[in-house]
Amino acid sequence: MNDFEKNQNIVHKICRIYTTNQDEHNDLFQEITIQVWKNYSKFRGEAKFSTWMYRVALNTAISLFRKSKRKIKTQDFSDVSFKIKSVDYDDTKDKQLKALYLGIRGLNDIEKALMFLYLEDKPYKEIAKTLGITEVNARVKMNRTKQKLKKILNP
Amino acid sequence: MDLANYKKVWKNQPEEKNKISALEIYKMTQSKSNSLVKWIFIIGLLEFVFWFAINYLGTKNGALEPYEKLNLINFIDNFNYFHYVLVVLFLILFYRNFSLISTGDDTKTLMKNILLVRKTVKWYVYYNLIYAVVFSIILNILIFNTPDGINILSGIDNESFNKEHMMSVFIIAQIVVIAIMILILWLFYYLLYGILLKKLNKNYKELTKLNEIS
Repeated sequence: MNDFEKNQNIVHKICRIYTTNQDEHNDLFQEITIQVWKNYSKFRGEAKFSTWMYRVALNTAISLFRKSKRKIKTQDFSDVSFKIKSVDYDDTKDKQLKALYLGIRGLNDIEKALMFLYLEDKPYKEIAKTLGITEVNARVKMNRTKQKLKKILNP
Repeated sequence: MDLANYKKVWKNQPEEKNKISALEIYKMTQSKSNSLVKWIFIIGLLEFVFWFAINYLGTKNGALEPYEKLNLINFIDNFNYFHYVLVVLFLILFYRNFSLISTGDDTKTLMKNILLVRKTVKWYVYYNLIYAVVFSIILNILIFNTPDGINILSGIDNESFNKEHMMSVFIIAQIVVIAIMILILWLFYYLLYGILLKKLNKNYKELTKLNEIS
């Protein structure tokens, strides 16, 4: 699980996209951890660990995760998660990042995955392979999703 | 601001401040999963047990006594053996399809395999309903072809009662019971799997729709 610990930032980003508060974020993080642990024996090293982890984490967020019914008491997570870490961190950038996350949350589950992989600089070949669609379809859908996100970000 | 600039902001975002330690991660791996696949598996297994129990209980508790008098026990036994073989085959198929599920697969394949497990259970339920209907039809034919069949089965030992009238009551009662059973089951499954698979079905449709756009 050392690799997982090192790459946990990827999982946190996915949790931020697919959940709206800290409780859900923690629940999804835990479910992804369980799924990575359970399926690790099936990881045969044909891809990089992080590539495989992208798949498991996105699959868990899109297909497996079930939000628990308990009441949520924590404050809205978008207010707490991006507090400035270092002194020289630019406040405008923090606001832009918040806007980006809010914009992505306005997309559907598949579009979220596409946009996330785009932002993570994944090549179309890998995006197509991760979602199980053709490269052409990935490109077409990506263009549409970009347009949709642009509209949300610049209404 | 265009997306290329947002991409830069994304790349420069600060790391998660609440980093999870290796020990905490290990503890998490030992906790219980609350995944859709787990629930599909549990509900699927419960359905196997439920239908098996219904069938099993139907042949116990003295329910078969009148059929013994009608010499139909051999027929019922053979039908049941055939049924149990099919139940085992369904169980094997259920496990085989379940083991195909891997979160390391691509998203579309994963969704397809989850839905396949659900379909196996659906076929099993359909099979059980068809089995019940076919079984009752054959049994009815055999009973009505046996002299005094209805008398023995209903326990009424009266020469004067209207055989044809009794026959229609018998058949209508069975049709009504089966219809009510199917309606209740349909409602139950519609609600149960409808809620459980709502998100998955929606996302699967979204992915399959992609094949049509180019």
